[in-house]
Amino acid sequence: MSATLSKGINSFKEMIDAPVASFFSSCVHCGLCAEACLFYTETGDPKYTPIHKLEPLRRVWQQEYTLLGKLGKLLGLSKPVTDAELEEWKPLVYDSCTMCSRCAMVCPVGNDMTYMIRKMREGMAASGHAPKDLIGASTRSVEIGSPMGIRLPAVKAQMKHVQDDTGIDIPLDRVGSEYMVLMSSMEIINFPEYLAAIARIMKQAGKTWTLCSEAFEATNSGIQIGASDIAKVLVQRVVDGAEKLKVKTVISPECGHAFTALRWEGPNLIGRAYTFEVQHILEVLDEFRSAGLLKTTGFEEARLTFHDPCQIVRRGGLLAQPRNLLNMVAKNFVDTADRGKMNWCCGGGGGVSAIEEAEPLRLQAFKVKKAQLEETGAKTLVTACANCRIVLEEGLEHYHMNIPVMGLTELIAEHLTEGE
Amino acid sequence: MKKSRQPEVLPGTVGEGLKQRGVTRREFLKFCSALTVMLALPPAMASVMAEAISKARRQSVIWLSFQECTGCTESITRSHSPTLENLIFDLISLDYHHTLQAASGEAAEQARMQAMKDNEGNYLLIVDGSIPMGNPGYSCIAGISNHDMLVETAKGAAAIVAVGTCAAYGGIPKADPNPTGAVSVADIVKDKPIINVPGCPPIPVVMTGVLAHFLTFGGIPELDSLGRPKSFFGDTIHDRCYRRPFYDQGKFAETFDDEAARNGWCLFKLGCKGPVTYNACATTKWNDGTSFPIQSGHGCIGCSEPNFWDAGPLYQALSMPVSATGSLLGAAAIAGAAAGVAITWHNRSTKAAAKAAHEKVTVQELTREEK
Repeated sequence: MSATLSKGINSFKEMIDAPVASFFSSCVHCGLCAEACLFYTETGDPKYTPIHKLEPLRRVWQQEYTLLGKLGKLLGLSKPVTDAELEEWKPLVYDSCTMCSRCAMVCPVGNDMTYMIRKMREGMAASGHAPKDLIGASTRSVEIGSPMGIRLPAVKAQMKHVQDDTGIDIPLDRVGSEYMVLMSSMEIINFPEYLAAIARIMKQAGKTWTLCSEAFEATNSGIQIGASDIAKVLVQRVVDGAEKLKVKTVISPECGHAFTALRWEGPNLIGRAYTFEVQHILEVLDEFRSAGLLKTTGFEEARLTFHDPCQIVRRGGLLAQPRNLLNMVAKNFVDTADRGKMNWCCGGGGGVSAIEEAEPLRLQAFKVKKAQLEETGAKTLVTACANCRIVLEEGLEHYHMNIPVMGLTELIAEHLTEGE
Repeated sequence: MKKSRQPEVLPGTVGEGLKQRGVTRREFLKFCSALTVMLALPPAMASVMAEAISKARRQSVIWLSFQECTGCTESITRSHSPTLENLIFDLISLDYHHTLQAASGEAAEQARMQAMKDNEGNYLLIVDGSIPMGNPGYSCIAGISNHDMLVETAKGAAAIVAVGTCAAYGGIPKADPNPTGAVSVADIVKDKPIINVPGCPPIPVVMTGVLAHFLTFGGIPELDSLGRPKSFFGDTIHDRCYRRPFYDQGKFAETFDDEAARNGWCLFKLGCKGPVTYNACATTKWNDGTSFPIQSGHGCIGCSEPNFWDAGPLYQALSMPVSATGSLLGAAAIAGAAAGVAITWHNRSTKAAAKAAHEKVTVQELTREEK
């Protein structure tokens, strides 16, 4: 068994639906999407125009689903999509699209390019044109349980560290808990402060929660590479774990695409509704805040700004929550000029941060973020996605900017009123 | 306006005449620059044009008026102040013009015959008004039918300018049911270059521009498919309308006295024909650049287009059907729906086949075997 071109083309045909058809037929070629894309604005190269990244998919739509296109194909007037072409498009569909959806916000006819890139990646993956790093991550996710190859013992080791540091018991596989907490590999390896923050916040709020030994990983490489069959396997693990532990709510961690995978794509992938709710950690924290369960003392004095993770804010709809929470603990919170649903992407979403050969382009695109930060004069950068965080840290280091980046959950936890 | 013909007091060239009337060379050059811009000529042509016009012997012009209302003549002569345009007009040799000439009867016709004879092959013939093909008695001058006078005078003309929509396309006299059998100049004269300057009435500067082009280059400007100078009739009123941004935003006046109308929104829904009318009103404007119909709150009626009078109600929006019958539309809808169903059915089977052909993608199948 192997990936083949015909599998890829078949996948394109399978993926094209009414929205895709209406998007392609209503595109007016105005080019506004280019101006909204950081890969275009920072390189000036028109090949990074978002709608252009979809050209092979558009041709398949035209040849298979339109009258003139069918005629053209019959008469040999339109050239078929080839392996060479898909290979040429690989850097456009993967390396230079973070699926951030900023282009969809400016499209005057309402085309959702991200929706189509997600679908196009299905055909790219099925035809063997996915980047090798994403193939590796997907393989580790399915075979080991995490894209970074983390197994349960590593999680347990971190639990023990956090337990020692905070003196709070970290529950594992506790049936009937209200919340089941997931983590991204990035948080397990690089940012243990997230788990510590959760433990302290849950303790103050008086909520029961648990980790799950069979489903601790929230990320979903299947979504990034564009293979629904693989994405489904990974979502199913979380669903099985949550249903086994009979939890009310699964908390998606500070990770962008994990939220998209679990909250929006998940039920469609497994073909049924969940028996539990999925909330992003910021939604949970904001609920705690308005219920008076989140008590903080003191304020951050430094000027700080917020990087809106695209999948959580623009595509996830959590616009007010991060700002409500920030204003609880920060005196000098300043927003960037483009903020909320129009904020610029960190440049590493949608799997881009995992693709090694995309790094030079990603660092070039980071210039837009750099300019944004310089304009605010912020001394600290807060975000709510571990992937954004690592990409931002790398970008800041590359451009020799001394601005610390922190997670919002962790920032809230630092200001918790404790000892009650 | 035009004085009687007295060669001994009139200057020999246009340039001398302008000087006599106190027009400085600088003013004249400015005027020529404006004309070159409007004629879409390269800027360097301004001085060439100035030279050519200044040196030109006074061009002999014969102006024939047929079934018309004199509006075209009014347009060019009744500018509210003496403009350079009508000064230039003064300085051509307008050898025959019913309305403006002092002579009458035999003497007038004599002047026409004399001009035709003296300038054979070189004079410019300007025509306003349409020509009745029914009873010749509908319109005749000095006992000569309009048709015969046109044919006779066109014979020795260098070129013909059909001024106004009546001369260019038949205009209002030709409107349904066309009782006089009115036709345009081009319907009768086939062997001479004809420049149509339509409009009801046409813009004065367009007439002057055409004349200036003729004097400078000795030929006619580039014309569109309806015989109009492209430089003035290249864009629609809509494309150049200052209310266009409201159209683009979907902001329309619904009545002539609503809030939207007072705010100056687009008059499309009130029947403005700007989108299908080619003319220069929106750029050159009227009355010394003061305004034009849309600016004063009324939609364009499309007066520079053929058959404008019969092109549907003036106050009905362009997008409303004027002729298609209900049954025709119904049949078209059914045919369209049937085609839609057929294509949908075919597309669904294409997609169903693709779904059936789906082979599960596992991590082992993300790479090519041959690699």
